[in-house]
Amino acid sequence: MAESHDHVSCSEVVELVTDYVERALPPDEAALFEQHLNFCDGCAWYVDQIRTTVDTVGRIEPEEVPPDVRSQLLAAFRDWKRS
Amino acid sequence: MTEAPLKERTASAEEVELLARLRAGDERAFEALVDRHYGTMLAVARAYVSSRAVAEEVVQEAWLGVLKGLEGFEGRSSLATWIMRIVVNIAKTRGVREARSVPYASLAPEGEEAAVERDRFRGPGDAFPGHWRAYPANWNSLPEEVLHERDTLRVAMDAIAKLPPAQRTVITMRDVQGCGPDEVCAALEVSDGNQRILLHRARSRVRAALERHFDG
Repeated sequence: MAESHDHVSCSEVVELVTDYVERALPPDEAALFEQHLNFCDGCAWYVDQIRTTVDTVGRIEPEEVPPDVRSQLLAAFRDWKRS
Repeated sequence: MTEAPLKERTASAEEVELLARLRAGDERAFEALVDRHYGTMLAVARAYVSSRAVAEEVVQEAWLGVLKGLEGFEGRSSLATWIMRIVVNIAKTRGVREARSVPYASLAPEGEEAAVERDRFRGPGDAFPGHWRAYPANWNSLPEEVLHERDTLRVAMDAIAKLPPAQRTVITMRDVQGCGPDEVCAALEVSDGNQRILLHRARSRVRAALERHFDG
């Protein structure tokens, strides 16, 4: 995806970041990516922002089962058990 | 992206034990199953139907389908995969009945979408093309309380609510519900590469919303 094989630009980093954090980059591209982060604070902070985003979304409470739905489903389970 | 979907897992030892309890009529086991899968089922249904209300109906109907199929379930896929397949089938049927104009094929990502506005990078005529004009902020320097504020969580939730359906489903499954990529691929019938593109676009948009919030 990089324009050349020996260099990743900042505008490419922001598009490769998910492949990087998901460990889906081929090893040579991952190495170039990390090399870039070593000398570019902006991109290091950007990757950190993405990690913070993932952490923040991870703190959102999963949907709970509404009480009326729970009781309806339990009633269905009891019916099923009887049949 | 055309790579094959990830290999499916068969039912785990834990699921086999849970199945035995369910078949024996153990209500606590059933409740645990409902609690574990409800949020993910809702997220999956919402990729296929137009509203939350219809998605809730789909999930309820899916549970009846689960009960109907429980005796015959052979554990050739994981219990979770099997449940999600029931959700998808019902959701698709409902989607057709709603005469939704969006075809299912469109759950795969479409077009181009920049993670960051292109004008934040130097142009091709510049000495450093593709480099930041101004660096994004270092969020490590934000006070911990700001990151953990209810407001911050609210911004993330609102941003997710505004995402296109497939992106919203993927980020909810992966980052809220903690599903693996294979579960997303199975539920949305997309390749691993495409689930990653959807996740990338979703996370990028939520990051942008948080950035607007922090930068005020």
